[in-house]
Amino acid sequence: MPGVTALLSARGIARSFGRHPALEPTTLDVRGGEVLGLVGPNGAGKSTLVSILAGALAPDAGSVVLGEPRPRVGWVPQRPAQYGRLTPRENLELFARLEGVPDPAKAAARLVEIVELPDDGRLTSELSLGNQQRLNLGVALLGDPNVLLLDEPTSSLDPRQRRRFWELARAVRDRGGAVVFVTQNLEELQRFADRVVVLLDGRVVFDASAEEYARSPEADVFA
Amino acid sequence: MTAVRLLLAKDLRVLRRSPALLAALVLYPLLVALLVGLVVRFASDQPRVAFVDLDGLPQALNIAGERFDVETVIEEVNDKAELVPMSEEEAERQLETGEVTAAIVVPRGFASKLRGMVESPVLVLRTGRGGLASRFELQTEALVFRLNRLLQEAYIEANLKYVTLLVEGGEADFLGEEFDVVGLEEAGRLLEQLRGRTDDPEALGEIEELATFVREARLALEQTDETLRATANPIELRTDREAGRTWLLGAQLQAYALALTLSFVCVLLAAGAIAAERDENVVGRLVRGLVRLRELVTAKVLLGATIALALGLVLAIVFGVAAEIAGVDGGQPWSRLPLLALGLFLAGAAFGAFGVFLGVLARESRAAVLVAFLVTLPLALIGVVPSESVAAAGWISIVFPFVHAVDFFESALFALDPWREVGVASLWLLGLAAAFATAARMGVRRFLT
Repeated sequence: MPGVTALLSARGIARSFGRHPALEPTTLDVRGGEVLGLVGPNGAGKSTLVSILAGALAPDAGSVVLGEPRPRVGWVPQRPAQYGRLTPRENLELFARLEGVPDPAKAAARLVEIVELPDDGRLTSELSLGNQQRLNLGVALLGDPNVLLLDEPTSSLDPRQRRRFWELARAVRDRGGAVVFVTQNLEELQRFADRVVVLLDGRVVFDASAEEYARSPEADVFA
Repeated sequence: MTAVRLLLAKDLRVLRRSPALLAALVLYPLLVALLVGLVVRFASDQPRVAFVDLDGLPQALNIAGERFDVETVIEEVNDKAELVPMSEEEAERQLETGEVTAAIVVPRGFASKLRGMVESPVLVLRTGRGGLASRFELQTEALVFRLNRLLQEAYIEANLKYVTLLVEGGEADFLGEEFDVVGLEEAGRLLEQLRGRTDDPEALGEIEELATFVREARLALEQTDETLRATANPIELRTDREAGRTWLLGAQLQAYALALTLSFVCVLLAAGAIAAERDENVVGRLVRGLVRLRELVTAKVLLGATIALALGLVLAIVFGVAAEIAGVDGGQPWSRLPLLALGLFLAGAAFGAFGVFLGVLARESRAAVLVAFLVTLPLALIGVVPSESVAAAGWISIVFPFVHAVDFFESALFALDPWREVGVASLWLLGLAAAFATAARMGVRRFLT
């Protein structure tokens, strides 16, 4: 979508783990009003790219430029990132306080409802993986983000939970925000992505609309 | 600081949900402290020692005119050991099997040499190779010293009788021979009588010389009592037993128990807590502008300090109440509690920082706790070894918080003027806390890979 201002831009970001380069210098714009699907084989650098965009991992080179006004970025890591010995509500409240949300208790209660979390005093570690993943999403939604970075977010969700999840993600896009999601699920990619970026060995090898992707040879490679 | 406070509150909430873990962390080091106390207390207490009497000592020995009841003498000197009479062969066997720590052998002719006062009799000490053998050598030296003191008293009394005899005169016996002694007093009177019986100036001069000698000899011998006692014991040690704390409530044990408990609890908790952040996969989420790595490390250091403060005060109050109930004096446990609280906080921070450093190195929480345990146990035990005995123990201990925590607690609770020791220990604890926290801060970046 030329002419649309980028909410988030990667400028030549690169990252290595030891001597192994996980991400070669990469440039990518994330624009408002789009759902960007990030695909590639295992080890292609998708999670590294999303972690750097989220600010959870520092790049070895390059930088991440935030648009104006500064976007609120929510991040759902591949593995749930919350405290197992706290209840879901306590987790949400703690992260709300750390985020500086004005009324943390109210925000936590709201998200318990939105992501349909059990609120019976059970600890997070006692919940199913699907519920833990929903809490993972709930924490990401705490700051009312307009950029949502999702790393294989639906892998442990049942179909109903998956539908609900995408309703929430699309709502972010519909408000003019952006959603970037990493997936290995091509059906999900075709249904929800407006734009597709293919990573291979740490490099971007394809970056175009979902329609173009469907017609391109890369679609066959990962089918 | 809001982030630090929130993380600290979270950790305390998580800890409250694991009461069994907390109880184990508190009780285990307390048990270790008690065992260390028992070993220190009883390692040198009443070892079993064979007593081999080859001379057939009589029930009573007459030495220098003093009657010694042998059994009473042994009772009097054996409060440091349990002397068990047995044959030489049995003593040999038990020494080999370790049933006795040592054997004291009274050789043949011992009593007669003792009575004769011509040649010193010899007591033979045979020791095994056990850890207590060298310690018992020292105890036996002390035992022989005390025996010598008793005999010395008897010899002095006997010698003083001879001196009195020389001054006052009378009947005496020496080595079985009976004889009469004129005595200096009588000699003086006799010389006065002789002086009246002659006008010979030469004889009078010699009588005057003799009379002078008798006067001076009397004066000198009349001072012999104190002089003899003083030269026999140039330095006398008087032991005044006053009311004080029992060993269980003793200052040192209490300080060690506090330091040992806190070292285990704080190091293990801090190590586990920092590594758990990585296990829970939350570090990436936190560093996205919510919490700085420095704040994450600080929160764990403060977790150690907070736990140390709470737990240490509870333990100190329990010790204080026990001391009150037992009615023992010797410390200032109540008025010094605020000062102790400062020490607990500083020690907890230093132990906590050390724990965070270990947790960062180990990365995974179970490994972190195991590493923390494996490192803390020997370090705490090295801290118990006196540096005067093993210099290396002192060098190692000084760069870990344990000994400085002990110094602080001992001084804070029991020293009359604790400020210098407390100041030095505080600086050490602060310095170590800062050093370990800095090292942990540098290492915690590894959590982000």
